[in-house]
Amino acid sequence: MPSWQEFEPFIVSGLALGGVYALSGVGTVVLYQATGVVYLAFGAVGALGALIAWSLTNAGAPDWLAWLVCVLVSGAVTLAYGMVFGPPLARRDPLVKAVATLGLTLVLFGLMDLLWTTSGGQSRAITLPTDNGGFTVGQLQVTWTQVIGLGAGIAIVVVTTVFLRYTKLGTAMRAMANDREITATLGVPVRRVEAAAWLGCGVIAGVAGLLLADLVALDATTLTFLVISSLAAALIARLRSIVGTFVAAMAIGLIHDLLTPIQSLSSYRDMTPFVLAAVALLVFSRHRVISLSREEA
Amino acid sequence: MKMRQNARGARAAAALVAVIGTLVAAGCSSGSSGTTSAGSTANAGAASTSQCGTKPGVKATGTPIPLGAIATNQPGTSFTDIPNMAAAYFDCVNANGGINGHPIKLYIETEQTNPAQIAADAKQLVQTDHVVGIVGNTSILECTINHSYWENLGFFVVDSGIAPECYSTPNSAAVNMGPRYSSDGAVQYALSQHVSKIVFDQSNVPGTGYIAAGPAALAAAAHVPIVQLTENVPIADAKSVAIKEVNDAGPNGAVILNFTPPEALVILQAAQKLGLEDKVKLWGCSTPCNTDFLAKALGPKWNNKLFVNAELTPPDSTNTPAMRLYKAILAKYGKAVSGGVGSFSQMGFAEAEIMVHALRSVKGAYTVASVNAALKAVSDFDTGMLCQGWTYGDFPMHIPNNVDYTVTPKDGKMVVAKGCTPISSVDPQIAAYRKASGTG
Repeated sequence: MPSWQEFEPFIVSGLALGGVYALSGVGTVVLYQATGVVYLAFGAVGALGALIAWSLTNAGAPDWLAWLVCVLVSGAVTLAYGMVFGPPLARRDPLVKAVATLGLTLVLFGLMDLLWTTSGGQSRAITLPTDNGGFTVGQLQVTWTQVIGLGAGIAIVVVTTVFLRYTKLGTAMRAMANDREITATLGVPVRRVEAAAWLGCGVIAGVAGLLLADLVALDATTLTFLVISSLAAALIARLRSIVGTFVAAMAIGLIHDLLTPIQSLSSYRDMTPFVLAAVALLVFSRHRVISLSREEA
Repeated sequence: MKMRQNARGARAAAALVAVIGTLVAAGCSSGSSGTTSAGSTANAGAASTSQCGTKPGVKATGTPIPLGAIATNQPGTSFTDIPNMAAAYFDCVNANGGINGHPIKLYIETEQTNPAQIAADAKQLVQTDHVVGIVGNTSILECTINHSYWENLGFFVVDSGIAPECYSTPNSAAVNMGPRYSSDGAVQYALSQHVSKIVFDQSNVPGTGYIAAGPAALAAAAHVPIVQLTENVPIADAKSVAIKEVNDAGPNGAVILNFTPPEALVILQAAQKLGLEDKVKLWGCSTPCNTDFLAKALGPKWNNKLFVNAELTPPDSTNTPAMRLYKAILAKYGKAVSGGVGSFSQMGFAEAEIMVHALRSVKGAYTVASVNAALKAVSDFDTGMLCQGWTYGDFPMHIPNNVDYTVTPKDGKMVVAKGCTPISSVDPQIAAYRKASGTG
């Protein structure tokens, strides 16, 4: 077993990884809360925005403009998908809605592979100005981008929680997630509310994509499929609690990285999100059986 | 009602995790290989493409000589630049007299890491296109799937190797060294700098054991401890990977990576952001890292800190007739070569050169027997792209490229850190080849 000192750096990296998962996971739950759709294209949309930002920066555009375009493109793609496919799929099973977003994921993934090919050894990177400053923890440098990543996760949790609970639009979104038709009969402009939810999710995906391109990698495959680990955090929170998703994401990141220096477990550390999600689902389903039994009794 | 929907959503999402997990696994298994590239803009220089043929400006109009190639082309992994560059070379030859007036026609089949498809591609080339030679193959699985087929039909394939069978079977000879021998080269350079420990990390894909055996043999012979690691790709936790590598290597150790350029970049950037680049004596990498894209993305902190094995002659700093012709052909005929100047197109050029050299020696009709006999007879041929002459020969295995360069980043480009150096015969496969070919 490694010593405490050997574990120390992995606590820092684990928090950073948890922050990464939280950014994606929270975005997924926000949209689910608002529309009832598990949006699997969250990572792909963010990756598309980040790659466009990279292209713009390489073409000489100012950084701020590239970042803005990244967020706008992600928002626009998500909004367009929501407006075109949202209404026809509104009455379908959640699984169908989620699989439809998987279709968008694969289309975007193919598009990115075509436009930003990796054949010929092309590799890209986005470096934010906040990478150049930071502080040291246990001989490890912590950049301001990492701090912003973690902070953005917390900020999204707080803002979204307040928004969904205390604003009129947020209440309408939650009502729609429960029952779209009843909400419509109450006079809520469902199309407009849905549009706001999709756009908001897209904007979060764009911000997350930009940060993750710096924190993880500017690579279509990595960013697109990062959503899977994040989804585990969302599942642990039962796609219901935004705070729960954040906590689960941080736990996954920490446990994952703390397994790294343990030789016998290191190779299996990538299973962490899925093992934790499976355990959580088992516990929840057992709890549900007990509750139902009590109700029947 | 909300709870019911949440529960349904959670179940649906759980099911989807399994589905997407399978997709990722497929993506991971396919995104492993890749050799190299040093991308930059093609510069034709003063060379003329008329040098590629025996009758400058005379278009070949005879019966075409059909040749075939199979390359992986799927999201994240495309090797089509290699046969496309070979086709560009053949176009140049065809525009300048061809082979005794015969133009060369290259049929290129692509595959998506599907064994049945790869086997079918080979049959298509032989039975439908009636090819008489195979040149430019670059595939993750092709050598593994088809080598027996080529042996039975008497084809001697000239390829860019990835799978072990590209190097260990009698009817396949590659112009590149492939991941194992390139990793050997990177480890060998680190050992020459007297490091106290080696950490060799590579992507967790089929064949890692075969690749790892080379560096393990080299480290053992030098009495230097080696730690072997594998990482699942795509890498999402590059920071913990970098910390582990550096902790395992120690301040006088070396970390050697064998990943595709994007994955290697992720690890190296993570190390840089954590301030770890100077915590080991040196970082090394197999050939995939030999790309100006990577040098540019990493920046000056890695100058003379990262040392990359290079299987082919560095194109930026070389001004030989062969290199000028390569750039001229690429500029004039290489529209389909997406990566531009770089190792992929260099490989395609070298393979086409070898094939043309063999075809020119054929007396009589261009048949499977005559063309492949000519290929097998190629000996010590100077491609201008390798450290040494290239030989096919009648050997049970082929590693004709076993002398390499080491490069390091400098101002956004890869420059030579160490010239041509033979890969150590401590690797039992290299020793076996040198013994079989009589070059040991």
